[in-house]
Amino acid sequence: MARPDRRDPTQIRALHCVLGQLNRVDGSAQFSAGDTSVLCGVYGPVDVKLYDEKLDRAHIEVKFRPDIGVPTTKDKWVEDAVRSTFEREILGQLHPRTLVQINVQVCQGDGSVDAAAINATTLALIDAGIPLRAMVAAATCVVRSDHSIIVDPTQEEADSALSTHTFAFSNLQTNSPAYVDSRGEFSIDEYNACYDMCMAAVDRTLAFMRTAVEGKILKETQTAL
Amino acid sequence: MASTEQLTFAIETFKRIHPVEFQRRFLSQDTRHDGRAFLQFRATHVVKGTIGTAQGSATVRIGNTTVVCGIKAEVSEPDVNTPDQGYLATNVDLSPICSANYRPGAPGDEAQIDSEHIFRLFGEVVDLKQLCIENDQAVWSLSADIVCLKSDGNVLDAAIIALMAAVEDLKLPQASLDPATGVVSADKAIETQLTLRKRLFPATFSLVDDAYLVADADDAEERLATATLLVVLDDQGRLANVWKRGAGTIDRPTIAHCIAEAKNRQNAVSSALE
Repeated sequence: MARPDRRDPTQIRALHCVLGQLNRVDGSAQFSAGDTSVLCGVYGPVDVKLYDEKLDRAHIEVKFRPDIGVPTTKDKWVEDAVRSTFEREILGQLHPRTLVQINVQVCQGDGSVDAAAINATTLALIDAGIPLRAMVAAATCVVRSDHSIIVDPTQEEADSALSTHTFAFSNLQTNSPAYVDSRGEFSIDEYNACYDMCMAAVDRTLAFMRTAVEGKILKETQTAL
Repeated sequence: MASTEQLTFAIETFKRIHPVEFQRRFLSQDTRHDGRAFLQFRATHVVKGTIGTAQGSATVRIGNTTVVCGIKAEVSEPDVNTPDQGYLATNVDLSPICSANYRPGAPGDEAQIDSEHIFRLFGEVVDLKQLCIENDQAVWSLSADIVCLKSDGNVLDAAIIALMAAVEDLKLPQASLDPATGVVSADKAIETQLTLRKRLFPATFSLVDDAYLVADADDAEERLATATLLVVLDDQGRLANVWKRGAGTIDRPTIAHCIAEAKNRQNAVSSALE
């Protein structure tokens, strides 16, 4: 079954990112995969409310806003996805009793938005200079009605899928996913196949992120000279 | 006598002031503080029809965790885009009555996330077309309130089982729309039950202290969990959900092992739901 945009089953959309375009936050990144575009702005370490203050580490807060409409429980769910993924990746122990606030805004949604949010957050955290244990990237796979598996689905492909699988991996530990969300009707073999496909897509996304960050640092050092 | 009393007092104090160390003492010896094996779930009891005034209800107990689910049915107009479908709204209520962890007022993050997750799961279970009374004019709108009465860990599993039982218990009166008056009348003498697409069986595993994987963590263990894995199976041998949160290490073979354990748990939950 051919895909509407003629991609291979294992082919992700063209990735694009812009780092540091917002000048009020400590760090920002806009991550795009095809028509899905997510902007992330990060403050940290900043002042924390007394209620949230943690004695031995930074408090991580995530705010996720959809492209259309007011935030609902659906968006609260994505906030939890991002927060639980980064809670340990951010070296919060270096900044106790502070707050790291991650603000994610969906600019354009065309499938795989959760994965794009995680990717944008990693880049924004790097742009802000917040110490990280590892870089985390995510990818989404869906199992279509004919039981074929495709990676990085568009909204249209995701709506008609039998099951959706989002995996996030760090660049240090690939035997243990940082985040897993598999929903729908699927077998364990399909789960494993999606796991492998997402891992390959995440590898490519991490390589892309690395190139983007290296490019930014190169530009900064060159202008400094 | 005096020395035994002192020992009991010391254990309770130790549990309070060094919760991590307390748990480690047991976990490092391959056991848990309540005597369970690592992958042993607590005794689960389900009673259906506990709320007489609701159209469907159930009370679920997993160990000390107690959750009540009540489903109320109302008639309303369908959405313009889906004229033959009714509504199922799920709401998980975590209030101070169940645990000191929760503050009074608007639903907190955990309650909202649980509500959303259960809503997504049950989209596969209930066929909303069965809730249609008259196409484009009247449909049943089901409000499922899942209230936690006692929280001792693993509220999400209990909530899923409670809603599953309540939906199975649900009896809707025969409703018909009078085309002349536009009034929907319900005949309580004739009741229909929903035919569910599938049944769901949850199993939650927690990674305590970043090293020990335990099934059905209670409150003390849950507070120390660095990662949680929820596996939901359906009654046709397929998976409905694999949800891993938290960046603790739960590697691929462990996830496969948990899915196998979830199948054992399914038998226990299935017999409890009978």
